[in-house]
Amino acid sequence: MDLQQSAYDLVRARFPDQVLGEGIHAGQRWVDVRRERIVEILTALRDEIPFELLMDLTAVDWLDQGRPERFSVVYQLYSLTHNDYYRVKAWLPEADPSIATASGIWQSANWGEREVYDMYGLTFDGHPDLKRILLPDSYPGFPLRKDYPLTGHGERYDFPKHTR
Amino acid sequence: MGLESWLQEGALTTRVDEVIKWSRKNSLWPMPFGVACCAIEMMATLSSRYDLARFGSEAIRFSPRQSDLMIVSGRIALKMMPVLQKIWEQMPEPKWCISMGACASCGGIFDTYALIQGVDNFMPVDVYIPGCPPRPEGLIDAVMKVQELVAKEKRLGVAS
Repeated sequence: MDLQQSAYDLVRARFPDQVLGEGIHAGQRWVDVRRERIVEILTALRDEIPFELLMDLTAVDWLDQGRPERFSVVYQLYSLTHNDYYRVKAWLPEADPSIATASGIWQSANWGEREVYDMYGLTFDGHPDLKRILLPDSYPGFPLRKDYPLTGHGERYDFPKHTR
Repeated sequence: MGLESWLQEGALTTRVDEVIKWSRKNSLWPMPFGVACCAIEMMATLSSRYDLARFGSEAIRFSPRQSDLMIVSGRIALKMMPVLQKIWEQMPEPKWCISMGACASCGGIFDTYALIQGVDNFMPVDVYIPGCPPRPEGLIDAVMKVQELVAKEKRLGVAS
């Protein structure tokens, strides 16, 4: 049976009020969900399909694109058993960009969520160590947000000058 | 000078400054700050085909305390600039600096929030090399220009 269809059926049957829609691109399907029960959705997908591996965890800023909410957190799942992928997108509002952590489900979510926090400023409730992973700790702002200026807020000139 | 006729054959007279400058310029010990593709060209310059040893600069030192020529070869990110400054401060005087390639000199094509737009904003640079990345001949030329600077030093112990 088509794995992506069964994954969608599982989410649809178990969490009907959480599903916002679905889509397909390049043969890969995804499901759009609300953020409230994301841990339960991901746990069900991991245990019952099963999707053993979280290949990637990232986010997208849909500023002024007419999407349900401004931010989406993208979970790219991979099933070692069935050799197939599935994608889950959870939508986060701009006013309160936070979602429950998936680091209790897959260990690999830990650093992925830190990177998303670093670049987008989305917070993950319950994360064991939510701090910047790539940028300096003192960095102001979140550079991959669409309203962040390309050349930054002057961080590039924020160093002491050393002369001879 | 008259002194040479008084000395035995095979002796030359000069000033101590000149001897030290001459030996110093022919024994530059580079600190390779290789962070990007320019570093590959720097490695090519050091290896047998281009052979930087011909100019006395083959003694690459990965400890800043043993080197007197900083070669910044590559783009410097915001997080790397304090490291670069710390290494520069650890190098003993007199010291010189080559900014190798477009990224180190002006940010190059990376006009983004994450990259320093020219290391000369925050530390002294003696010689810039254009190119993306520069060929080994460019680095050799820069080393020779640094040698000229060393030879032109007005006072010992003070970089030009």
